[in-house]
Amino acid sequence: MESSTDLPKFAVLQLSGCSGCEVSLLNSEEWINNFQLVYMPLVVTSNKIPNGVEVLLVTGGVRTDEDIHNLRKGRSRARKLIAVGTCALSGGVAQFKKNHIARESFLKASHRLRMPDMLPNAYPIDKFVEVDLYLPGCPPTPQLFMTALKDPEHAQIAPIVCQECGRKKLNDMRPKSITGSRSGVVLPDICLVNQGYVCLGTSTRGGCGALCTRPGHACVGCRGPANPYLNKEPKFVLDNLRRVFSRMTDIPAEEIDAALASPWLSLFLGQFTDYTQETDLPPRTKEKML
Amino acid sequence: MTTLTYPLSRIEGHARVVIDIHDNEVFRADFQAMEMRGFSHYVRGVPAEQITVIVPRICGVCSTAHQVASVKALEDVFGVVPPPLAEDIREVLLLGQLIQNQATSLFIFTMPDRVNASSLFELSRSEAGKARAFSLAQMALRIRKIGTDLISLAGGQFIHPIKTVIGGVTSGIPRVKADQLILTIEELLPVATDLLDIYWDLSMQMVDRIGSWGDDEPTHYLASTEANNYRLNSRRLRVMKPDGSEAPSFDPHEFEAYLQITESEYSYAGISSYLGHIMRANSLARVNLAESFGTPLADAYRERFVETFGKPAHAIMFFDLCRGIELVYALEKARQMLSGDLEHGETEIGYTPRDSTGFGLVEAPRGPLIHRYEVENGLIKSADFVIPTVHNMLAIRRALTVVAKRYVSHEGIDAELERAVGRVVRAFDPCIACATK
Repeated sequence: MESSTDLPKFAVLQLSGCSGCEVSLLNSEEWINNFQLVYMPLVVTSNKIPNGVEVLLVTGGVRTDEDIHNLRKGRSRARKLIAVGTCALSGGVAQFKKNHIARESFLKASHRLRMPDMLPNAYPIDKFVEVDLYLPGCPPTPQLFMTALKDPEHAQIAPIVCQECGRKKLNDMRPKSITGSRSGVVLPDICLVNQGYVCLGTSTRGGCGALCTRPGHACVGCRGPANPYLNKEPKFVLDNLRRVFSRMTDIPAEEIDAALASPWLSLFLGQFTDYTQETDLPPRTKEKML
Repeated sequence: MTTLTYPLSRIEGHARVVIDIHDNEVFRADFQAMEMRGFSHYVRGVPAEQITVIVPRICGVCSTAHQVASVKALEDVFGVVPPPLAEDIREVLLLGQLIQNQATSLFIFTMPDRVNASSLFELSRSEAGKARAFSLAQMALRIRKIGTDLISLAGGQFIHPIKTVIGGVTSGIPRVKADQLILTIEELLPVATDLLDIYWDLSMQMVDRIGSWGDDEPTHYLASTEANNYRLNSRRLRVMKPDGSEAPSFDPHEFEAYLQITESEYSYAGISSYLGHIMRANSLARVNLAESFGTPLADAYRERFVETFGKPAHAIMFFDLCRGIELVYALEKARQMLSGDLEHGETEIGYTPRDSTGFGLVEAPRGPLIHRYEVENGLIKSADFVIPTVHNMLAIRRALTVVAKRYVSHEGIDAELERAVGRVVRAFDPCIACATK
């Protein structure tokens, strides 16, 4: 067996998040053979990121001033930095967007003695440091983690979720209203949009293996917009979704608009379309997006 | 005043221990959560039926428990009772979470403490030790993965599961998939018991070395599993008094009459008590409150535990051993349940939304978890998350004070204190993301 100290060093910095990305990484044991994990407080006792880290994975959004400090320190010690998960890419579920009532209530409740101060919002990490690669997903699958660590340059990522889903799109099955999240009977092998589900797979980047849609759960868009909609205003991806529904269904436009604006979908759709509203973010090119 | 600050690793989330010492006397020991998730704020105004997709994101480690508790709370709001098959599939899902969590806590979080290593992946510096550590790590991750596979099978997603819906679950578990997993469990169950035996021996050796199992003052215990039915998809909360007798059980909707929850000035996590008393939740509470598991291997381990340490057993590092017993139980129980028919029959029933207040209880790996939602005009007006880690806050603080006093004397501060602090906190396996909901 190769001595583990000869292997490339990688580290995982968790900012404000749920640890789900870390759990997903642990679900792949493959990295044990190929990398040396030098910092990841969830599983390793080490108080700081050492110098000479080859790859630094950053999970979670920037929620406190301490997050900014740790993020900048981490960046200075790593050759390559990968932003991992929805929170690191958009601020995550903790992002308030235009919900001022929630923001005020949260900030009012968040004062403690000698504790990190909460920022007015949760921010994506590229607002503060340069990012070499983006790995979206909530969380990214273990396979995507391995691709990001081993050979991201040659990765073949499906452009949209539909490509990996395998459900057939039918011309003669046009629902007149949204089926909703609760009607349980999902027909196998037929596109969820044909069945009246608000599935975002048509505009969401693939690579996840369509692990939600194949068993019959509508895509909520956790991998973010497909390449054509990167760095575009929210209207582009939303317009594409509207086009898909008007082409494939007879659901009234207002019903679709209301569904696309719902908090359930805004968990991801809202975040990924809204981050472009931050004026000081560097462009995210498709070459940097896994 | 000297203030020692220990940032913590090998637990979920960001937390630290702060110990104030004056004249070689421990003045205060505190456990502080350093982040705030704040979900009870975000979910206000969210359409009630969408909340079950949002709240699993409170915590990626405990997402399964949150999803099921959330669905059960809305079922209470809408007055819907899911079919028995759905309840069983939810139980399989929660067993998956128990396996994943206990394997993580045992092998990734606390096994390194038994040999003074920094992680499972670096258990020993010697080459021979490395080879053994390597295989231990591989074995531990394989056991853990059974939990992940069960969550994927019964929950439709390996983190933030989606198959549990209001009124039931979206589909059954096909025979062929159940059979595949049964084979894996049968192959790995002996590996799990081997690992637990190694863990048990290493724990005994560690205690020989350090001379204590930690804070062992009798205390109250809180769990929602039954005496002879370890069902995690639970209904009522039970309390054991320090002398081992049982206090009256209560429904989740009565929780405020028994559990007093307050905020802390120094931590983003709250603190709860049982009628003003220190209490403990998590594995030791469940094992103390159990008469039997109903599966042979786990019951044998439980008997060994009770014979060796008594019932109730009180020292905090018994939490770790009890997690190991529960890991074996959950593997056995999952095999048993998967052998039954989880494919055919009604999995889901319809419902009519209505405005009301509802409560959802599950026994999460860390203890009883309650979601409470007040629904008005179809929207969440207010939401409360009653978190198991919060129930342990006073007990963690007391155990830290005990350990600090042990290692701070007229000779000064013993170097062992830092490691000891880690062992104390990890015995409770706290989850900071959940505790700061």
